[in-house]
Amino acid sequence: MTTLSTEVLVIGGGATGVGVAWDATLRGIDAVLVDRADLAEGTSGRFHGLLHSGGRYAVKDPRAAKECIAENRILRRVAADCIEDTGGLFVTTPFDDPAYADTFVAACQATGVDCEEIAASEALASEPRLHPQISRAFRVPDANIDVWKTVWAMGHGAQQRGARILTYHEVIAVHRSSDRVTGARVRDVRTGSEIDIEARVTVNAAGAWAGRIADMAGVEGVRVLPGRGIMIAMNHRLVNTVINRCQMPTDGDILVPIRTVSVIGTTDQHTDDPDDHTVEQAEVDRMFDDGEKLVPGFRQARALRVWTGVRPLFEDAKESDTDTRDVTRAHALLDHEQRDGVGGFVTITGGKLTTYRMMAEETVDAVCRHLGVSRECTTATESLPGSESGATYRLGERLQRKEAALQDEQVICECELVTRSSLEEAMRRTGSTKLDDIRRQLRLGMGPCQGGFCNYRATGLLHGIDELSAEDANQALLDFLQERWKGMWPILYGDQLRQVRFDDWVFQGVLDVAHAPGAAGAEAVAAEQPS
Amino acid sequence: MRSQLHFDAVVIGGGMAGLTAGTRLAQAGAKVAVLAKGYGSTHLSPSTIDVLGYTPERVRSPSESLGKLIAERPDHPYALVGVDAVSDSLSWFADCAAHGPLPSYEYVGGIDRNLAIPTAMGVLRPSAMVPSTMAGGEASALGTVAIVSVPSLREFHPALCAANLTAAGIESRALTLPMAVERADMNPVGMARRFEDPAWRGHFCAQLLAQLRTEEHVGLPAMLGLNDPAAVVADLERRLGRTVFEIPTLPPSVPGMRRYEILRSALRAAGGRLALGADVISHERSNGRVTSVSTHAAGRDLIYVADWFVLASGGFASGAIELDSHWVTHERVLGLPLRGVPEAGSPRFEREYLTEQPLAAAGVAVDAELRAEGTENVFVAGASLPGATPWREGSGEGIALASGYRAAAVIAGGLRTEEGVAS
Repeated sequence: MTTLSTEVLVIGGGATGVGVAWDATLRGIDAVLVDRADLAEGTSGRFHGLLHSGGRYAVKDPRAAKECIAENRILRRVAADCIEDTGGLFVTTPFDDPAYADTFVAACQATGVDCEEIAASEALASEPRLHPQISRAFRVPDANIDVWKTVWAMGHGAQQRGARILTYHEVIAVHRSSDRVTGARVRDVRTGSEIDIEARVTVNAAGAWAGRIADMAGVEGVRVLPGRGIMIAMNHRLVNTVINRCQMPTDGDILVPIRTVSVIGTTDQHTDDPDDHTVEQAEVDRMFDDGEKLVPGFRQARALRVWTGVRPLFEDAKESDTDTRDVTRAHALLDHEQRDGVGGFVTITGGKLTTYRMMAEETVDAVCRHLGVSRECTTATESLPGSESGATYRLGERLQRKEAALQDEQVICECELVTRSSLEEAMRRTGSTKLDDIRRQLRLGMGPCQGGFCNYRATGLLHGIDELSAEDANQALLDFLQERWKGMWPILYGDQLRQVRFDDWVFQGVLDVAHAPGAAGAEAVAAEQPS
Repeated sequence: MRSQLHFDAVVIGGGMAGLTAGTRLAQAGAKVAVLAKGYGSTHLSPSTIDVLGYTPERVRSPSESLGKLIAERPDHPYALVGVDAVSDSLSWFADCAAHGPLPSYEYVGGIDRNLAIPTAMGVLRPSAMVPSTMAGGEASALGTVAIVSVPSLREFHPALCAANLTAAGIESRALTLPMAVERADMNPVGMARRFEDPAWRGHFCAQLLAQLRTEEHVGLPAMLGLNDPAAVVADLERRLGRTVFEIPTLPPSVPGMRRYEILRSALRAAGGRLALGADVISHERSNGRVTSVSTHAAGRDLIYVADWFVLASGGFASGAIELDSHWVTHERVLGLPLRGVPEAGSPRFEREYLTEQPLAAAGVAVDAELRAEGTENVFVAGASLPGATPWREGSGEGIALASGYRAAAVIAGGLRTEEGVAS
């Protein structure tokens, strides 16, 4: 059995966990991060992409609003390349209580969220697809953030500073030595091999799964209630500004333009299982109806994809303990030495993507206390790799780069402008045989055709680079096909259904992948032919 | 005032089914217009004539398996048209190809035995009839094979194709020739134009010969010329001293474009008219008969008045049948009733991609003569028909050909009756 030794072991490769690893390595602390899947494959990668201004929480949760606007300002600097400065609008539609707007303005002032009222006509001039009967409109500094880019930038930065990141390694045991957590045993889910990791401090950043890790550590009462929400990506920038309904936050009241799509969200359904990705028809219908209220004609646009994310809503079942009272409502940092008398173990859960950096900072502060060191956090000033120039991302940058060398390089995924060299580089760098891992880094297959063209092309490249067997290559294609289907079938109608039928032609007709060696429908053909 | 044009029959849809119906009607002496919104399925498909590939077991002999299919599934398009129409329409199409605009380019095979030809994945796909340029890839005839491509073609990965062929027992090796082209991305159509140039072919073969070992067969992506592919293949075979065959690629499909030219030429030769870019935007009805359809094309509206109509506008793929965001399914051209649509509240699709999808077999409701329900003079052909899942069954071209052929025959019978009554 391999053994690793480190100062801090981080369990969970979402924005918070990777943020902890990045923060720790910047403070000179040796870190190992493990995740049962790829980075940002859980809740972090499954949201609408909104970098909150805080406006959404100004009335309902002022503390969260203050955190959001503070972090919004910081991330615009340090993660600039991951952020598109779309700005945001809160609009009072005919379906909203007109009295809320004044409450909203007062709450923004009280929490420090920049908010400027503009004429409804001005809002309509800048966003002509908005409901024509909006009565009031307020500009706020909402933006969008590419979470995969953010997480991978931090991950690479941490790796460059010596952190070890073990994706596809699930925790199978948390080690205890009397009153301390001393590390964990992890298993490579691809090979089955196991590694013991000794750590002076273990950080449970497993988000919606944090209760399970706490259970494995023998710590009681860490209850995370997964709140499941759906999001639907529409195949256009229906708007170029983040649009919020000016009302008490509810379902289906945010429309976020990100990259070439707009994402509407979300719902909130209690679930017992954080791996529950059910999409209910009624939820989808609700999103479309809500979309019509924001942007009339919403249903005529093409719905590309639906996905679910689970919010980690923390509830401390150990109410008698006083030490957790001062954590914010937005997120929870549990120092288990104080809470449970279990040393070397910290849980961070709850919260939202916008405040991941602050959560990581508080967590690493706690780690430093455990290690008995005093080192300042620098993540509020240290730029992520790739964001050093401080210039935010601009839609069209990739197209501009591609057009500069239009004839010189192959485009493998036309929808998302993924070039052959970038794809091959990612395949070599990650060593992953899963196209879905590549997708999250390059956006392969995320456009309108949902892999209709690029799946075969990328599989062909993967086959060559990874020297895969025919069956493994076929499996990579079939897995990606199924993965893309998973997000389409519940929302298939109109032009996206046409697209799927076209893709059927390609995969089942032209390529006949259903009968490829290794596929369920395969059978030996040549052997039965007369020789 | 909008112009009115008068025809005996108007066919809506310019894919395989529509061109077949239009040509057959024209050959029967009718004055015919084929109205096409755009190019149909021809430009997308591998252009083999797939009659029945899987039931879901692999079909060895379509003619034998069709009888069982017809008995078990009375709503299947093949049950409506019958085996004879399948057989006759294939012969008719093979004849069109043999006497078409592409010299020596023929379709070989028939419904008695499925051929097994490689896809770009290297899967041996069953098909009843294939272009002569693909026939050399028939699995039973293959010994050792070199699968060859050029780096600029994204639509074809020879190593993956060769690996799967080898896994299927056909010893194959991939070769990628570093042929210089001026751009990094070339699609099969661009490559097809190259292969029409003898100098290019000479250069290509010189490079290839330097790398070939003992391989007896050379498989290339289907890009061996648009206008005279048979001559291109013959020339390559002569230069290489080996048999050469084409393997279908991702769209755009070069053999699909050839097939389109074959059918378009047959339609023209028979006196039929083809209007491309003619989107049918409205129609008139009277007493269960559609009396005219209107198109919007080239900035003006035209009214096509006819006695008979063939709806060959395709299914969900073409957009002629639509599922809207309220989960209601419509036939969008003539507003005809549908069959095979899952009831509200029951699943339209399954979680698994590669399985039978409930909505997939929906189509325009027809009677045993392919007449659309609720009309007297509209006949339905091709992917507009309900009851089939062409890409799963490997039956798309067979259904398109046979139903287009059959619809034309029913209408031609009606025309003769009318003439008989008149005279």
